[in-house]
Amino acid sequence: MKPVLLLLGVLLGSAHAQIGTPAPDFTLKSCDGKSISLSVFKGRPVVLEWTSSECPFVAKQYDTGAMQKLQQEALAKGVVWLSICSSAPGKPGYATPAEAVELCAKRGSHATAYLLDGEGSVGKLFGAKRTPEMYVINKEGILAYHGAIDDKKSLDPADVGVPMNYVAAALDDILAGTPVAVPYTEAYGCSIKYAR
Amino acid sequence: MPTLRVLLRSSLSLLVLITSGLHAQVFEGQQLVRASLISSTKAIVPGQPFDVGLLLEMAPGWHSYWEYSGDAGLPTKINWALPEGFRASPIQWPAPHLMVEPGDIWTYGYGGTVLLITTITPPVGLQQGSMVSLQGRATWLVCKDMCIPGSGEIRLDLPVSSVSTPENTDLFSGFRSQIPSTAKPPFTLDWKRSGTEWKVSIVDLPPGASAEIYPLPQPDQEIGHPVALGSGQFRMETDGPFRGVLAVEKDGARKAWMISSQEPTPARAQTGLWLALFYGFLGGLILNLMPCVLPVISLKVFGFIRQAGEKPAKIFAHGLAFASGIFAWFLGLAVVVIVLKSGGTEVTWAFQFQNPWFNVVIGSVVFAFALNLFGVFEVLLPGQASTALESASSSSGLGGSFFQGVFATLLATPCTAPFLGTALGFAFSQSAGVILAMFAAVAFGMAFPYLLLTARPGWMRFLPRPGAWMERLKQFMGFPLMATLVWILGIVGGQRGTDGIFWFLCFLLCLGLAGWIYGGFCGPLSKPGTRAVAIFLSIMIAGCGGWYFLGQKFADAGTVEADGIAWVPFSKKELSALQAQGKSVFVDFTADWCITCKFNEKTAIDTPAVRALLAEKNVVPMRADWTNANPEITAALKSYGRVGVPFYVIYPSGNSSSPIVLPELLTEAILTDALKKIP
Repeated sequence: MKPVLLLLGVLLGSAHAQIGTPAPDFTLKSCDGKSISLSVFKGRPVVLEWTSSECPFVAKQYDTGAMQKLQQEALAKGVVWLSICSSAPGKPGYATPAEAVELCAKRGSHATAYLLDGEGSVGKLFGAKRTPEMYVINKEGILAYHGAIDDKKSLDPADVGVPMNYVAAALDDILAGTPVAVPYTEAYGCSIKYAR
Repeated sequence: MPTLRVLLRSSLSLLVLITSGLHAQVFEGQQLVRASLISSTKAIVPGQPFDVGLLLEMAPGWHSYWEYSGDAGLPTKINWALPEGFRASPIQWPAPHLMVEPGDIWTYGYGGTVLLITTITPPVGLQQGSMVSLQGRATWLVCKDMCIPGSGEIRLDLPVSSVSTPENTDLFSGFRSQIPSTAKPPFTLDWKRSGTEWKVSIVDLPPGASAEIYPLPQPDQEIGHPVALGSGQFRMETDGPFRGVLAVEKDGARKAWMISSQEPTPARAQTGLWLALFYGFLGGLILNLMPCVLPVISLKVFGFIRQAGEKPAKIFAHGLAFASGIFAWFLGLAVVVIVLKSGGTEVTWAFQFQNPWFNVVIGSVVFAFALNLFGVFEVLLPGQASTALESASSSSGLGGSFFQGVFATLLATPCTAPFLGTALGFAFSQSAGVILAMFAAVAFGMAFPYLLLTARPGWMRFLPRPGAWMERLKQFMGFPLMATLVWILGIVGGQRGTDGIFWFLCFLLCLGLAGWIYGGFCGPLSKPGTRAVAIFLSIMIAGCGGWYFLGQKFADAGTVEADGIAWVPFSKKELSALQAQGKSVFVDFTADWCITCKFNEKTAIDTPAVRALLAEKNVVPMRADWTNANPEITAALKSYGRVGVPFYVIYPSGNSSSPIVLPELLTEAILTDALKKIP
């Protein structure tokens, strides 16, 4: 099953970052003005979280506290967490650097950084289409998981505590040094509002 | 309280208005979605499933999602809270539309208006006249540039009755036709696989039609979006078999089919075709027993024997030539059908049985053919024509036998037309190959006795003797046609309700009368003057009947509010109570099986003038429905010395005035005059 999924991920995502291969490097400005590159974090697992200031699916995760809890647990284990917003300026979900700082504070986000990808180039590099859409990169810089945050495709806040969290599971596998059991799922959420 | 935070955050901008069964999702002053629950019927009949639909009307640019929403979005959901014993089907999703956003993001959903149909099955034991409340909670996600979740309580109250009248027919039939059919689509789908890539071409897509394919992945299956490559070709990537929906749109009509890369096993389809061909052969064989065919068989075969000088091989050669003539005739017919069909295209024909007018035409033709078989009227070829044909085919030799075959079949048309005509109607929905095969099978059946008897002339003694039984057989064959008509009426009922069937039958009555006049006075022996008058009368009766019953009346059936009067069910108690309140009451004693009652209701009672007067004079309309035995109504009728319906009585307000009994053959004028007299 696993090799099939792996192969499938490779074939389906042929234009984008591929599961089982090195994640492409990128550099983006964070909301506090710093330039951050992925390659800096080599040797530590990295979570990429595509996010939006408007999307109810993202709101479900933050308003119930599930996302912050996951971030906190991940950071405690030495994981790097990068929230990325690929909404184009002027489109829904976009936040200016100042608004992003405010947003992170209001949400109580524990993310290592909130990165602004207004051109959408990094989003397209990874083939991200939705918010939330999650990527987990292992210590060796290989893309190990791509997909949904959990298996409850709904907007009902009551569903947040119950489901299987794929990101938590992938991180557990990586930290235990075993292959990621579920390397690909179909993400669900709002569409990313790219410029083009 | 994180959930509370959601609510607070949302409530600043999002407000869900709740009015009885109708919800408006408003965002920053703009109404995004109007959600309401509507019914396909005016009343619930115990045990009889009916459709309800969640109607979502979205603001321009906003859309809700299909059962597979694609790269983003969330399908609409209904959580039912139905009364005890009621069951609801899953949502029957109409084919969606594709929406492509920047960044190669593909989603599937609906803009404008969508009706999500659910079939409700009520229990058998329901109290007649009681009200049932269907309730549930609908949740949906609407997106434009941003996504806003919405939800609302939906509710629909329906009375329980013994009969139901369709409601919202246009809305329901418009969306029902877009629900993917599980039947095989009327196109050839050619699937090809290489690795994880599927390619499918829709081979015989009619010109002017556009096709789309939407994927329906299994829970753990990743399906790439089907990409249209042009000219009916699609490409999609998936690890397993592809399952999805094919939607075809032509001339504004849209129809959908479930498709799957696992082609249905061809063996099954093959046996179906072989069986159909066998029936075609049997049908052709039976044609030989018709009064205008059977006597000809022995004549022809004797003719061949005479010509061939008793040489068996030569006799059979004549038989073959004659059979070829029959084949030529039928295959010629098949070609005509195929040519006609290609003018209309398959898709158009596949839509036809959903068109009530098509059913009316086919039903009328089938009815006329049945009358023809019953002997009500005959269609004769003009005398000169048959003589000319006879002389053209009288030349001897094999060529002569061939033409005799052609013309014998043509001359048998008066007996065979009813069957062939009916078969033709259905042949339109088949592919060209199947039509040719079917007609060849019929030709083979019809030619079979000639082939057999020219091969073994001795077997002529087994041929049934012509006689009066042939006429009986012909008449009997009218019944299968009548059965076909019953089936068509059933479809019409589904489309236009009891009213539709009623008006259609009224027209068939006129058609029958016209046929009878034509048959009785247009025989070969009638005088030219009589003929002319009879033909004129037949055309007038059929034409006026069509104009009157199929015009406005049938067209409106089931689509307009046929019964705009808020009837109160009859009970003695209620009547006395209303009288005690000083109200005037008009009681309509009626039953569904009473044609006069229905006629009166449609022409004299449920009219704008009467509705206005009932309101103006504050008269309570009360209906005593005697469709099923009801002792209270029987007793009420008896008190007026009546034993049946229709019966109409007005109880004017005020104790002094006595009840006004109205005549059984009610007119609008009589009723309005009586109502005007009420103080």
